[in-house]
Amino acid sequence: MKVTLAVRGGLAAAIGPRVRVISSDAEQDRELRRLVSAAAASSPDRGVDDRAGRDVMSYTVTVEDGGAVRQLRAADTTMSPAFAALLEWLEQH
Amino acid sequence: MSISRRNCIVPPFILKRLIENGDEAIRESAIASLVSTAQLRGERAVRTSVSGLGAAPADGGRTIFDCAQGTVLSKATLVRSEADGPVGDASINHAFDGLGATRDFYRQVFQRNSLDDHGQRLDGYVHRGLRYNNAFWDGQEMVFGDGDGQIFTDFTGSVDVIAHELTHGVTQFTADLDYHTQSGALNESMSDVFGSMVKQWSLHQTAADADWLIGAEVFTPAIDADALRSMKAPGTAFDNNLLGKDPQPDHMNRYVDLPDTEDDDNGGVHINSGIPNKAFYLVATGIGGYSWEAAGHIWYESLKASSAKAQFQDFADTTYRTAGTLYGDGPEREAVRAAWSGVGIAVTPVDSPPPAADSPVSTLIKRVEDLSAQVVELTDAVRALAGHSG
Repeated sequence: MKVTLAVRGGLAAAIGPRVRVISSDAEQDRELRRLVSAAAASSPDRGVDDRAGRDVMSYTVTVEDGGAVRQLRAADTTMSPAFAALLEWLEQH
Repeated sequence: MSISRRNCIVPPFILKRLIENGDEAIRESAIASLVSTAQLRGERAVRTSVSGLGAAPADGGRTIFDCAQGTVLSKATLVRSEADGPVGDASINHAFDGLGATRDFYRQVFQRNSLDDHGQRLDGYVHRGLRYNNAFWDGQEMVFGDGDGQIFTDFTGSVDVIAHELTHGVTQFTADLDYHTQSGALNESMSDVFGSMVKQWSLHQTAADADWLIGAEVFTPAIDADALRSMKAPGTAFDNNLLGKDPQPDHMNRYVDLPDTEDDDNGGVHINSGIPNKAFYLVATGIGGYSWEAAGHIWYESLKASSAKAQFQDFADTTYRTAGTLYGDGPEREAVRAAWSGVGIAVTPVDSPPPAADSPVSTLIKRVEDLSAQVVELTDAVRALAGHSG
């Protein structure tokens, strides 16, 4: 699997987006699929809650698994615990 | 010494302390004086403020929570409250001290009681997330990351960053500037302006001596960058292969027109803020002395007088009008005009009414610090006045 994480916004938004590409091996695929599925189920595309948050970061996770591509989005103030768990996994790999 | 209800010379913050005095007669007399003074100054919502004081406000009590690298704030642990001393974690102590410096700045300089002017409690969350390169305001509380240790370090290490986030709260409770395009850039600029003023006030620096940098401490030593932003010279805070070049403009002819989308910083709110940032720097250095005095009061009163959709031109006109109201047709107003002209914005001429001859607001502002030492005398004077009227 190939996962692209794009992080935008925040206090340092002027610096521009930070993009990381993470390629998982077969052993990691099962865990990553579980995290992506959980995040997708709990965190539809909610974007950034611009009514309240300031200097909030937004996250776009693009998952390429075989021929399928899916994209998940969330922000610091809107992400579900499942999306946070996916983000944490990606930050550790 | 006596206090006249019609023409009060006692600074509002001293009156507020008197209101909090346990003596009912003193409290009533001080409230009457505060209302009279506020009406002279044209303050909005004074009665709301007074009623808030009567309801025993929290006065911006601080609470710090440790996220322990988690992202769910409700799972964070309470680690330091207002009455607690320093703990063995620098981030916790930095956040606590930064919240206190900002709260004290607003209270002592602008007589503002916390973010909402009603004593809102200040909650800060530290160690948020894993290698989290940010600090943000979520509408209710401040959240700080530790940085990734490679580019960014602990965001609580910069007092102007802490004050920046808290000022988003002040803006939310005043103009509530819409977080898109020019009004959003004004929102960001307010946070930089007051954030820098808090740092300068903490260091007792003049406008000429200040560095006018935002977030000078958030980069690791390995990164060749001065700061996140420079108010003195927008567009020069960083320029290297890793971060690129600081994109902030310092003049309207370099305004960066971006789509109003999340992916484009809501129309460049963190980019075009360089223009009003530079204007404030020019005003503060043009007037001279401390930025939080004349320049700060012009900006603060203008923030309170602005609307959510204000554009750069609107805010420039408001500051020019406010400078006239506070200081008359003097060097302060000329400094405001020249500053906005310096960033490519011509203020709209207005005939500002001069301050009332028998109650110059400018004199009130300049005497605030001197009068603070006379609180005890004033308490006796109000007690005597209350005795006569009763």
